[in-house]
Amino acid sequence: MSTTMLSLHALTRRFGGLTAVDAIDLDLAKGELISIIGPNGAGKTTLFNLVTGLDRPDAGTVRFEGLDITGLSPERLAAEGIARTFQLGRVFGNLSVMDNVLIGAHTRLRAVKPAVPVIGPLLELGLALLRPASVKAEEERLREEVKVILARFGERLLPRIDQPAYSLSYANRRRVEIARALALRPRLLLLDEPTAGMNPTETTEMQGLVAELKAEGLTILLIEHKLEMVMRLSDRVIVMDEGKKIAEGPGEAVRGDPKVIEAYLGHGLTTKQESAA
Amino acid sequence: MTNSPPDALLALTNVNTFYGQAQVHFDLSISVPRGHIVCLLGGNASGKSTTMKIILGLVKPRSGDVTFDGASLLGLTTPQIVRRGIASVPEARRLFADMTVRENILMGAFVRDDREAIAQDLDKMLTLFPKLGQRLSQRAGSLSGGEQQMVAMARALMSRPRMIVMDEPTMGLSPLYVDRVLELIRTINREGVSVFMVEQNASLALEIAHEAYVLQTGKIVLSGSARALKDDPRIRDAYLGGSEAA
Amino acid sequence: MSSWLDYTINGLIVGNVYALVAVGLALIFGVSRLINFAQGSIYLVGAYIGWVAVVQLHTPLPLTIIVVAVAAALVGLIIERFGLRPLQNSVRIAPLLATIGISFVLDQLVMLTFSPNPRALPSQLPDVRFQIGGGTIGPLDLLIAGVGITSALLLFVFLRYSKLGWAIRATAQDRDAAMQMGVDVNRVNQAVFGIAAALGGVSGLLVGMYYNQIDTAMSLQATLKGVVAEVVGGAGNVPGAVIGSLLLGLVESYGVAVFGTSYRNLFAFLLLVVVLVLRPNGLFASARQAPPEPLTGTFIAPSRPVRIPRWALLVATGIFAILPLLPVSFYVLQTLINAWLLGMLALSLTLVAGTIGQVSLGHAALLAIGAYTSALLSLTFAVPVGLAIIGGGLMSAALGTALISPSFRLRGHYVSIATLAIGEIVSLVILNWESVTRGPIGISGIPPLSLAGYELVSPISIYCFSFIVMVVLALLQGRLLGSHLGRSFRAIRDDDIAARAYGLSLNRYKSLAFIFGGFAAGVSGGIAAHLYSYINHETFNTQQSILALTVVILGGLGNVVGAIVGAVALVGLPEVFRIAAEYRILIYGIVLLLLVRFRPQGLLGTM
Repeated sequence: MSTTMLSLHALTRRFGGLTAVDAIDLDLAKGELISIIGPNGAGKTTLFNLVTGLDRPDAGTVRFEGLDITGLSPERLAAEGIARTFQLGRVFGNLSVMDNVLIGAHTRLRAVKPAVPVIGPLLELGLALLRPASVKAEEERLREEVKVILARFGERLLPRIDQPAYSLSYANRRRVEIARALALRPRLLLLDEPTAGMNPTETTEMQGLVAELKAEGLTILLIEHKLEMVMRLSDRVIVMDEGKKIAEGPGEAVRGDPKVIEAYLGHGLTTKQESAA
Repeated sequence: MTNSPPDALLALTNVNTFYGQAQVHFDLSISVPRGHIVCLLGGNASGKSTTMKIILGLVKPRSGDVTFDGASLLGLTTPQIVRRGIASVPEARRLFADMTVRENILMGAFVRDDREAIAQDLDKMLTLFPKLGQRLSQRAGSLSGGEQQMVAMARALMSRPRMIVMDEPTMGLSPLYVDRVLELIRTINREGVSVFMVEQNASLALEIAHEAYVLQTGKIVLSGSARALKDDPRIRDAYLGGSEAA
Repeated sequence: MSSWLDYTINGLIVGNVYALVAVGLALIFGVSRLINFAQGSIYLVGAYIGWVAVVQLHTPLPLTIIVVAVAAALVGLIIERFGLRPLQNSVRIAPLLATIGISFVLDQLVMLTFSPNPRALPSQLPDVRFQIGGGTIGPLDLLIAGVGITSALLLFVFLRYSKLGWAIRATAQDRDAAMQMGVDVNRVNQAVFGIAAALGGVSGLLVGMYYNQIDTAMSLQATLKGVVAEVVGGAGNVPGAVIGSLLLGLVESYGVAVFGTSYRNLFAFLLLVVVLVLRPNGLFASARQAPPEPLTGTFIAPSRPVRIPRWALLVATGIFAILPLLPVSFYVLQTLINAWLLGMLALSLTLVAGTIGQVSLGHAALLAIGAYTSALLSLTFAVPVGLAIIGGGLMSAALGTALISPSFRLRGHYVSIATLAIGEIVSLVILNWESVTRGPIGISGIPPLSLAGYELVSPISIYCFSFIVMVVLALLQGRLLGSHLGRSFRAIRDDDIAARAYGLSLNRYKSLAFIFGGFAAGVSGGIAAHLYSYINHETFNTQQSILALTVVILGGLGNVVGAIVGAVALVGLPEVFRIAAEYRILIYGIVLLLLVRFRPQGLLGTM
């Protein structure tokens, strides 16, 4: 009964002489959570860029729910229900927390729906200026929804709902990013190091949130360095090194894989540890 | 400065660093004894690279002190710090891609004016890194990763530094070059240059280091002689085990 | 009829002159990723210093060249030290605005010192022509070619063999790594500005001699041509800038040969737009690389806008609304009418430059489109003036957006270049499309403002009309900003990559911003046309674009109330302090510089 949500086939991206993503295959089933781990420069974020349309692959295909989405624009993919967060925390600095999250719901607005060239945008402009009751009601409904999303983060964001994002702490910006992604009502969520820069308490909180999302049936692709979190959350773990997939499987199996330990620690230590064990 | 032993060439004392509101270092103290290789280990986003930037004056700490040979480096510009005798091999080499290999190496001697001695040192580099001899007039950007690492090291040595700081010198290199690079770091050190290196690859770094520190989310969680740390299972946990390790 | 060889020689000579400007721009862009909009002003300064040397001091030619080079270099050093170095850690928009301000100040200083009238700059060389093949060449041509080639050689040797030259090249390739080698980046910046200014100054001198005429309008043209050549060759690429310059010279020269002199600039700017659209990294750019990752929110300064209570706005609007009933002089009303017209333009620009982050330097073109449309509609088709003005607004919205759309895929400084060029193209099309626009003669006898058959000729009625129109436009814009569109525009400005990842199409929203903004600007231009009763291709010039930009920065980017407050301040304060007209532009330039340095968020804050 597991249907494939996302399917990557031989996905490859080269920069000059460097192959950042090297023939990656991956199948993500509906409701599954897969973590991608690997040392710096392994190609994890590039892989995310390829899936979300911010970068185009040199070879290979990306399929989403059976549809070939290779090379489609990020705008299109957002409308298809793919949401992501960014490694460096790309919030809209001068927008309030509320507005940041509302942007997440952008593709759901009725005013932006007509895709007819010229007429569609002009209609959107007209609706924005006239603001009939239906538009007002939709905006109100979304604002309420944003508050519900923000409530998932306890008292972290709600009291700051009208503050500009640039004034938030690093950890809170990460939370805003995730809230924004949730506002899209994604069918596939890509999280790029959601706990970077967070202390242990905050990390545990975030881990709880991701577990909740997974329990709610959301399909998630996660890049994370905190292995403990990866082990607890993931159905499967994929290890990348120098653009290649070097291991794949359940967390514990991958963690003990000599190739993985070597990628992270180097071979010398591996052998010593193995013999010691 | 109270924490650093008298023979420390470089000492970071209770350094706290912030990027905006996010704290990157928490009371970081590290000391590099004269003539030693000291290695700072840690996973991604642990604050390793920022430590490099602090030493080179590219990032200013909010509190704490950084001293080199007893004098504080805070308030100095990067060029001034280089003139004090610290050379660097930056992360991902950072060569001047459109300049030739020869020009890249000579850029390392930018702070020097003794033309003849510079020419001699260039010859010395070519004996130390024989492969570069045939590549001198090639664009640095056209070299392989391993060759680029050689150029970056030669470039750093050209300033006749008392200390070299290196950011992940083995990252992205083939195993063959990894061994070469480590051997070279040893050679450089034997000639009297102190080395401070930031590494993700713990086992490699511990092969050649005298002392090591393990950094995790901005805090030193382990430190000691490389020999002792090599057999410490907590190293492995620090990398693969998450925050409970220490 | 000259031969093709003549056109080729002329193209190469002119190309040489452009190269002197463009190489400096490329050097500066290389080390500081900045397009120096003041480069043309240094060229202007060089020409006038040359004039002083030749005409008043009677210096021999070699000495003239040296004097100009040294003096211009000094100007360059001053610009770097006092204009740009303090902005090193500012947001990216700051140095761009600073060079615009500096350019304004320098141009005005030259104009105030030497008067705007053209002057003759004799070449000090014998007036003979040598026959070669089918064409001729004069000593001045040889001098220009000689200076061009010598400069290129000197620069090559300097960059290749001197220590400072190495430092410049290293800094251009990797600033951080260069610092880690001990390179003092400030000194590199200084050197680069000095060299760029020396070359630019000499270029101005040579051009002045070539045409035996110098005037203050040279500045903007030189900046534009230099930028065109540099962008064609690839920003920051020094040899590319030389090749781009020669190419530009040839394209212009052949264009002139086929279509006539008045088309010269049109070809230059079309070349720029084509290159920007097809190869935004220049003709010699390497293959695609890792996508750039600009950090969030670094383009404009973050700030909290000043909240003005609604009652205060109502009171202020009320006071200005009943002002004509109070005993104020016509002079005050006249001044405020100008402020309201500028306010409409500023509303438009603050939306485009502030809210969605497209710093347009060609905004006066939207005024021109609106003005010409409204004037022609009322004159030729007898459309009632009120409707004609709305027609002008709509035309400006549609045509302006269509013209600017090629620049939607560009970022940061490139948008400014593209809009500047598009603005020039509009002005040149107006000049050349005589059957419709009446060309250089302009349009006279435009009917006065009227509404429903009543002519508005008294200052009071004109005041009320323009005030009401502005208030309506401001209210509409406020409503727009409060809608999902305002939010979407600002999101695109803050981080276009994240915005795209959430489904915001850049083309769609930039178009909408320009449509809305184009309407306001077009209406402003339309009203102006009926007030002035005569317009030509120079009525709406770059000076107005920059003035509007200053207003917008003064009020706070994206800030609707700020745009109007800024317009009133910039139009009104010089009147209050009775500053003579010729000093005003200078004051505006200085205001812009001070704002960028000390209050980048403007009076009321960025929205």
